[in-house]
Amino acid sequence: MTTLRPFTCEDMLRFNNVNLDPLTETYGLSFYTQYLAHWPEYFQVVESPSGEIMGYIMGKAEGHGENWHGHVTALTVSPDYRRLGLAATLMNLLEEVSEKKKAYFVDLFVRVSNKVAINMYKNLGYIVYRTVLEYYSGDPDEDAYDMRKACSRDINKQSVIPLSHPVRTEDVD
Amino acid sequence: MALRSQHVHDGGVVERRLRPVYDWLDNGYNKKALQEAEKVLKKSPSLQAARALKALALYRLGRAQEAEAVLDALVEEKPSDDTTLQAMTMSFRESQQLHKVCTIYENAVKIDTTNEELHSHLFMSYVRVGDFRSQQRAAMAIYKFAPKNPYYFWAVMSIVLQAKETEDTTKRNILLTLAQRMIDNFISENRMEAEQEARLYIMILELQEKWEDIIKFIESPLYGQLIPGSISQACIPYLKKLGRWKKVNILCKELLYDNLDRWDYYMPYFDSVFHLMKENSNEENIDDTAEKCHEFICQLVESMSSGRTLRGPYLARLELWKRLSVEGDPTALLGSALALCVQYLRVFASKPCAVPDLKVYLAMIPQEEREANCRDFLTCLGFDENSEPETMDDIQRHISCLTAWRLTAPRPGATDALQLAATLRRHYLRSLEKNMIKYSTTEFCSADSYAILAAHHYFYAATEQKSSKPILEALCLLELVLLYSPANYHVKLLLVQLYHLLGNALAADSIYRRLELKHIQLVSLGWLHTARADAACVPTRALQLLADLRAFHTHHAKDQSIEHMTYAYKFGTFEKVVELRAWAARLEACALCAVSARRRDLLALLAAPAPPAPPAPLHAAHTDNRDLNIIVNWEPPELQDPDLRSRTFDQDMAYLRLTDALLSSVTLCTELAENKPIEEKMQHYEQLRTCVDTFSEAMEKCTEKYCVYEKITISGPFPSRIIGFVSSPVPYRELYSITLRMIGELSMNNTDKVHELCDQVVAIILISSKLIVQEIRYGAEDNGWSMRDRLESLSNYLQSIGVLTYLLGVCYEMITPTNTKKSKKKANRSVDQMQTIKLIDNINVTLQQAIASLEELMDLWPDYDFSVDLEEELTRMNINPTAPSPVENKLKLGLDKIIEDIQNILKRKTAYLKGLILNTNT
Repeated sequence: MTTLRPFTCEDMLRFNNVNLDPLTETYGLSFYTQYLAHWPEYFQVVESPSGEIMGYIMGKAEGHGENWHGHVTALTVSPDYRRLGLAATLMNLLEEVSEKKKAYFVDLFVRVSNKVAINMYKNLGYIVYRTVLEYYSGDPDEDAYDMRKACSRDINKQSVIPLSHPVRTEDVD
Repeated sequence: MALRSQHVHDGGVVERRLRPVYDWLDNGYNKKALQEAEKVLKKSPSLQAARALKALALYRLGRAQEAEAVLDALVEEKPSDDTTLQAMTMSFRESQQLHKVCTIYENAVKIDTTNEELHSHLFMSYVRVGDFRSQQRAAMAIYKFAPKNPYYFWAVMSIVLQAKETEDTTKRNILLTLAQRMIDNFISENRMEAEQEARLYIMILELQEKWEDIIKFIESPLYGQLIPGSISQACIPYLKKLGRWKKVNILCKELLYDNLDRWDYYMPYFDSVFHLMKENSNEENIDDTAEKCHEFICQLVESMSSGRTLRGPYLARLELWKRLSVEGDPTALLGSALALCVQYLRVFASKPCAVPDLKVYLAMIPQEEREANCRDFLTCLGFDENSEPETMDDIQRHISCLTAWRLTAPRPGATDALQLAATLRRHYLRSLEKNMIKYSTTEFCSADSYAILAAHHYFYAATEQKSSKPILEALCLLELVLLYSPANYHVKLLLVQLYHLLGNALAADSIYRRLELKHIQLVSLGWLHTARADAACVPTRALQLLADLRAFHTHHAKDQSIEHMTYAYKFGTFEKVVELRAWAARLEACALCAVSARRRDLLALLAAPAPPAPPAPLHAAHTDNRDLNIIVNWEPPELQDPDLRSRTFDQDMAYLRLTDALLSSVTLCTELAENKPIEEKMQHYEQLRTCVDTFSEAMEKCTEKYCVYEKITISGPFPSRIIGFVSSPVPYRELYSITLRMIGELSMNNTDKVHELCDQVVAIILISSKLIVQEIRYGAEDNGWSMRDRLESLSNYLQSIGVLTYLLGVCYEMITPTNTKKSKKKANRSVDQMQTIKLIDNINVTLQQAIASLEELMDLWPDYDFSVDLEEELTRMNINPTAPSPVENKLKLGLDKIIEDIQNILKRKTAYLKGLILNTNT
C-alpha cells in the first residue's frame, strides 16, 4: 500500500524510522541536497497511507559511451515495512528512469554478507558482475559485489558479462 | 568543496608554487598554509592568488581582521583570474559576506567580458544572495555570447523567482507571461531538450493556474520524449483542478487495475467518486455511486492472484467506509467498521505494518462499540492474551492482535496494566527460553514487540501510581531485549525516554550514543536527548551535545544548502531551486537550534565565567523541525494528544524568548563593564533597561499562562522547561531583574540606586536559597519518580548561580579601575565607592553562603530505591542472559557522576567568588 513520490528536502526530517536501521547510513546534509539538485528523478520515496516514510531510493546516471548507466546509491526500507515488495517497486522505478535516459545498464554495490539483499537483486534480474575487494571500510574491511542488470539499449547484453577476477577498490571508477 | 580550480593543474609556475598552500588548506593545516603562502609572497609579493589564499588561511585561523585587510586590498585591484577569485569566494563564504563575491565577479567580467566561466560565477554569486533581477541580467548576458539552453533557462527561472517574490499582482502576471513566452518561443523552435526544462514550463503554467494548457502539454509528444512515467498519472492533479471528475475516475480505474497497491491512485479515485455522486450522471463506465465504487473495489480484491494478497484493495474498503461515514451510515453497504477492521487484521496480521495501517481506521469506530468489542481483535485468529504461539509468524500475528486490542480497549488501570505487563514480559521470556529469538545485528525479532508493549503497560502503571518501580521493570526488560536485538531502535528510543523519565541523563546517554544520530538527525531528534541534557543537570555532557548541534547548524545548514542551490542551476533542476531555498531558510530559523545556542551560552557561564557573545537575533517565525512520530504510541484514539506538537512548540518559543532576553541582558552587562565614559555607555544602559523589562514582563505573562499541570507522554517531549521555571517558588524574575538593574545603575555611577538595589539583591538571594531547598525536598515519597523534577528545579537554580557569579565578576570589573585591579590596593576611593565595594562584597558573601547551603543539599541528595522482580522471573524460567542487567549500575553511577559534577562546579564557583572579594575586612 504505497504512495510513490519524489523525495523532498523536508523528508530528511521524517526519515528516521528508515535511517535508524543500522545498515542505513545517514549522510551529511549536502549529500542528499546534492543528489536532489543533480538527479531529482532518481531520488524517490514510498509512503504509507498514514504518511509514514516506508523507504526510499537514491540514484544517479553516470559514465561515458557504453558505460553510461544508472547507479543505485542507496536503497532502504524501514524494518517495519519489509517483505512487502517495496524494494522491487523502487528498483523498477529506477530502471524505468534509466531506460528513459538511454542507459546501457543499472548497477549497484552490496556487502557480500548481505545475503537477503543479494538474493532480492538476483530475483530482480541482477547478476554479480564482479567482486570489489575491501570496498566497505570497517573492522575488518568488507568486499562488495558489483551487481548489474542490462537495459534494453544494450542489445547484446555486453554490460553483464561477469569479470573473472575481483578488482581493487581504487580500480573502480 | 574542493578549493582548487582547474587552472591550478595547468602546470604554470604560479600554480606549482601554490600547490603546497592548497594541500595544507585542504587538509586543515591552516597555519602551515599561511607560512607557505607567505613564503611564496616573499618571492612575488604582489601575486594575487597567493594573497587570496593567505587571507583564507588567516580567516580559518580566526584572524578575521588581518584577513579583511588583505581582501579589501585585493578587491580594490579588481582581479580577474579564476584562482584568485575562487580563493576570495571561499573567504567571503566562510565569513558570510556573500555580497562581496558579487562585487569581485562584477569587476572581473568588466575586464574579461566574454569569459563564460567568470560570467557563470557572477550568476551564482547572485544566486547565493537571492538577487533575482541581477541573476536574470547575468544569465541573459552570457546567453548573448554563448547561446546554450541552460543559460536561457537560468534567465527564465530568475524571472519566475521574481514573480514568486513580488506581492504586486500585476507585476507578477507580467513576469509570468514573459517567462511563459520565453519558453513558448523555445518550444516552437524545437529547442527544448531536457526534462527539467519541461518541468520548469509546467511550473510556470501552474503559477498562472493554466491547468488546461498543462494537460495539453503533458499530452504532447514532446513531454513523452522528455519525462518518464505515466502520462495519465501526470494529468490527474490538473484534471482535479478543472473538476473533470469523470476523466479522473476513468484514468484512476485504469491505473488501479494495473497497480492494486498504489494509494496515490486510490485517493483521487475516491475524490472523483464522491464528487460524481453529487452529479448523478448515471453513466455506465463511471463510478458515481457508493455501490459502484464498492463493486470496483471487490473486483480488485478478486483480481488478486491467490499467491499474493495486497493490502491496497482491503484498505480501500476501509477508506470508503470512512468517507461514507462523514455524511451517513455505510453499514448497510459495507457492514460495520468493526467487522471490516477485524477482517483486515485477520488477513494481514502476519505483517508488522498491519496495525499501523489500521490505526487511522480504528478511530472511526464509535468508542462505545469499539471498547465493547475490543476482544474481537485479540481473538480473531484464535489467540488470547495467554496464548503461546510456536512459530515466528504466529508470534507476529499474536502481537498484531495484542496491539490492535490495546488500541481499541479502554486504557487499563494500574493493577490491570501491571498484570498485563507481566503477561507480556512472560511471552518475551518464553520466546527467549524456546529459542525463538535469534541474535541479529541487523534485523528485529518479532518477539521484541512483546517487550515493547510490556514497557508501554509498565509506563501506564507508573504514571498512574506516580511510582518509579514499574519504570525500573521496563528498563530492565528493554535492556535485556537489546542484548539479543541490538538493532532494534524502538527499544533504544524507549530506553532513552524512560531513563530520562527517571531523571538520569547519563544512563540515557549510554543508549543515545548507540543510536548514532548524526547530521540532520541531531535536529529532528534533538528533543529526545540534546534538549533535555541541560535540564537534567549534566552540564559537561550537555555542553558537548549542544556544541554538536551548533556545529551542524552553522556549517551544514547555512553554507551547504545555499551552495546546493547553485548546483540546482548548474544541473538545471529548477524545481529544486525553490525547494532548496525554502529548506535553507527553514533550517536557518530552526527553533531547537535557537534555543540550544542560548542554553549553551548560559550553561557555559556555569562551567567558567567567560563573557558570552550577544545572541543572534531571533527570527520572526522559528521553525519546528522535530520528528515526533518516531516513538510508537499505543494509546486508544480518545487518549491521543493531537495538540502536543503545537502546544510544546508554543511553550518552547516562550522559553526561547525568556532565555533570549536573559542572555541579551547578560551580554549588555559585559559591554557596560568596558572602560568608557558614561556618555558612550548610555545607549547600552537604555538597551539593558528595555531588555530587563522585556524579561520581567515575559516572566510575568508566562507565570500566568504556563502554570498548568502537563501530562507525561511516552512518545513525545516531556513538559517544557518553561513550566518548571516560571512556577518555581524561587523568585527568578526578581532575582535576575534586580541584579541586572543594579549593574545598569552601577555602570552609570548612580550610587544611591546601586546601594538600594544591592540590599535587595542580598535579600532575594537569601530568600531563593531557602526556597530552593523546599522546592527540591518537596514530594519525596518516591525518589526515583521525583528525581527528574528535582534535577530540573536544581538546574534552574544552578543557572542563576552561574549568571549571578558571572555578573558579580562584571561588577568588580566596574568598581576596580584597571590599573589597580591586580594589587587590590585601596586607591583613593571616595566614601561612596567604599560603600559600594562593601555592598558588592556583601552580595558576594551571601552568594557564597547560598552555594554552601546548596552543597549541603547535594551531600544529602536521595538515591534511587532499586528493586525489580525480573531477576526472579529469569531464575524461575531458567534463563541465563548473556550479560547481567546494567540498569541498577547505570542509574547509580549516573547519579553519582551528576552529583559529583555539580559539587565540583560549586567548589569552583566559591573559589572564584572568594578571589573577587576586595574589602579584606568583610
